[in-house]
Amino acid sequence: MGYILRRLGFYALAFWASITLNFMLPRLMPGDPVTRMLSRSQQRLEPHQVESLQRLLGVDTGPWWEEYPAYIGRVLTGDFGVSISQFPTPVSDVIASQMPWTLLLGGVSLVIAVILGNLLGILAAWRRGSVLDSLLPPVMIFIGSFPYFWIAMGSLYLFGIVLGWSPLRHAHSVGMTPTWSIEFVLDVAAHLILPALSIVLVSLGGWMLGMRNTMIATNAEDYILMAQAKGLSTPRIMLRYAARNALLPSVTNIGLSIGFIVGGALLTEVVFAYPGVGYQLLGAVQGLDYPLMQGMFLTITAAVLLANFLIDIVYTQLDPRVRTS
Amino acid sequence: MVYARLTSARRRVGAVVLLGTLGLVGCGSSTADSAAEGPPLTIPREDMGNFTRNFNPFSPNSAPMTHEAIYESLLIYNPAAGDTVPWLAESWEASEDGLTLTFHLREGVTWSDGEPLSAEDVVTSVELQKELLGGFEYLDSATADDESTVSFHLDRPFSPALHQLGQMSIVPAHIWSEHDDPGEDLNEEPVGTGPYTEVVSFQSQSFELGPNPEYWQPEKQRIPGIRMLAFAGNDGANLAAISGDVDWAPQYMPDIETTFVAQDPEHRHYWFPPTGAQINWQLNTAQEPFDDPQVRKALSMAIDREHIVEVGMAGYAIPADCTGLVGTYEMWQDPALVDDCEWTEHDPDAAEDLLDELGFTAGADGARSTPDGDPFTFDISVGSTSSDWLSVANIISQNLADIGIRASVDSPDWASVVAAYESGDFDTGIVWSANEPSPYQYFRTLMSPETVTDIGDQTFENYHRFGDDRADALLDDLAAASEPEEQHELVGELQALYDETAPVIPLFPGPEWGAYTTENFVGWPDEDDPYATLSTRSPTTVLVLTSLEPVE
Repeated sequence: MGYILRRLGFYALAFWASITLNFMLPRLMPGDPVTRMLSRSQQRLEPHQVESLQRLLGVDTGPWWEEYPAYIGRVLTGDFGVSISQFPTPVSDVIASQMPWTLLLGGVSLVIAVILGNLLGILAAWRRGSVLDSLLPPVMIFIGSFPYFWIAMGSLYLFGIVLGWSPLRHAHSVGMTPTWSIEFVLDVAAHLILPALSIVLVSLGGWMLGMRNTMIATNAEDYILMAQAKGLSTPRIMLRYAARNALLPSVTNIGLSIGFIVGGALLTEVVFAYPGVGYQLLGAVQGLDYPLMQGMFLTITAAVLLANFLIDIVYTQLDPRVRTS
Repeated sequence: MVYARLTSARRRVGAVVLLGTLGLVGCGSSTADSAAEGPPLTIPREDMGNFTRNFNPFSPNSAPMTHEAIYESLLIYNPAAGDTVPWLAESWEASEDGLTLTFHLREGVTWSDGEPLSAEDVVTSVELQKELLGGFEYLDSATADDESTVSFHLDRPFSPALHQLGQMSIVPAHIWSEHDDPGEDLNEEPVGTGPYTEVVSFQSQSFELGPNPEYWQPEKQRIPGIRMLAFAGNDGANLAAISGDVDWAPQYMPDIETTFVAQDPEHRHYWFPPTGAQINWQLNTAQEPFDDPQVRKALSMAIDREHIVEVGMAGYAIPADCTGLVGTYEMWQDPALVDDCEWTEHDPDAAEDLLDELGFTAGADGARSTPDGDPFTFDISVGSTSSDWLSVANIISQNLADIGIRASVDSPDWASVVAAYESGDFDTGIVWSANEPSPYQYFRTLMSPETVTDIGDQTFENYHRFGDDRADALLDDLAAASEPEEQHELVGELQALYDETAPVIPLFPGPEWGAYTTENFVGWPDEDDPYATLSTRSPTTVLVLTSLEPVE
């Protein structure tokens, strides 16, 4: 219990530090939201029009020592205010409308990459020197070194344009209304395959190599030899004895990755015109949309911390040593 | 196969394969209405990753088509032909003293909820706009004289007011006067006078507008509806245009002949009229040595505008001249001056001679130094995302290197560039200019001392900080002039002053990008029939929407 409490204290501190950074960093960027809006659309307005816009949008003009306590108060009550770049939509609506797609894309690709990567890693380590072990890691590293967007554009060109197997854009066909009908779910799945595939391809190698390397160390342990001597079946030794112990570093990584899903996959979103918070976040930063930026960074921070906290709890279950230390 | 029927032939291949691998993919019921009458006009929006259902015309980021298809204005200025089209107002006149502007509204215009358009609506609209978005500072009051006559009372004669007031969006008073906080209303079910006001469906990445049942010119509502698609960047939107999934592509496409037109030369066309804002190379005139017009002219002669538009702008633009009026304001040009342009002609020898004369002599290594003996070097600022302007800046830098001046291209993101322009903390930079129907605002932001602020003080208009008292007098006269002859004479004097002082170095008028396919709809504007530009976010857009018709 003491362990959990100590972790909680740490998370509270980390949360405060990150929301403070959240507050400071955007304010260090040059310009203000209205002039950024003008520079994007290349307009010229007269000074009093700019003032009217600043007033309409409620752009913060107070000194930071007045803004900061108000900001902390809003964060604690969950009130993120109104987005500037999408005025007058509340920040919570902007985030909520995009978050499901981000979670869907990020979640599906993470689950596939983790399961597939770990399984491949287990197999590769178990059969060291086999074709799988000697061929796959270099290939995976090769693919994994490509930038996301390159793989995304390449697969879009090949499967979308040349072969015509997959839709070119968006999360579902134009004109469809989101419902839980089977047609809609299938349509969403069809639009999801290519973006998810491009993320899985790039991240698979990391999971596989990580698992393989830990597995190799675990395979050399005495208890594996012991299990073999007892005559246990190979799958049982591989999965229950070796893989289970080798899984711990992977679990830590899963925690981190779950948290980062929430930040969206910006480049994938741009290439496939897939909805999600990544492009929103880019737009918010470029447009100096403080309320939206703060809302999104806060969501990401909270998700990373929460995921890590959950992993900490899982750890105590998986590894008895953590409980006693 | 509803799904396949809705998509173009090109997409059908993909759809069929999908159907095969994934089972039947049907279609939502929401498209049933428009499917009965054929596909809607499909338009991409390249700078919005998703749409927010916000049809508030007073919001600076309302959904696309709010000002173009839902709300209309009293008149429409068409920069492609330079004419003014009466729209909700049938006619207008200014009083003798220029202080009253009267508009006569068209008979028989109704809002999409069936209420008639009245003068009260115009009054409410202008009051709301002034309160929420500012502007119209010359306007004392607006009054409804009777049901269909509205008068604007100005505090001084101001000729640009006609287009500024005439082109604002008119909203229904019976709805907007009810709002407690009109600036923050999302206006999800808009009521307008435009041709396409009914929101048929709204998803975050696409939405569809259907015809206004009460439109005042029903014979012009020939397209079944408008469908907007969201894209987080040009690449996605260009891909949609190239694969034939959109009818109208208003975004920039590199090498459009090969990437777009060549796929289907029979149907696909583009037209880039030079009606965009004048693009200038501005020198910070509050800073030495750019405060000397001779230096500015020497630098101007050193640059090769032909090369800039051919290579930097891929041949899609035309070079500017010493009037600064090529393109949008061409009808205001003084022909005598045009023939006599010197400092906008590429003449490196003359530039070198002039620089030598001014004391910017070249050393043994060929590098020039200022009369004080410092090396003559400076930065050219340009936003990193504008790849075309970036190459323009590089050509300028190259041209200057040829005459011994080292100008380095500095390209952070646009926001930092503009922040530096606003505070005056820059040497030189590529910049756009004001683009309104009347050249008044254009010349004012280029030359009026009223718009000049000190370095360090923020300005939004005259970044290069040039002012000439003679310009102010001419501009005041121009604002007060009501007769075309008088206006032309004053603009003639203003361009002579521009030619004399070279407030900025003009490069080229910005092209208005626009491409389309006649596969589904015909009646597009082009060079032979310039009734509008191909912009999807300008006052002329509604002219295109009411001119297109489906292919038989």
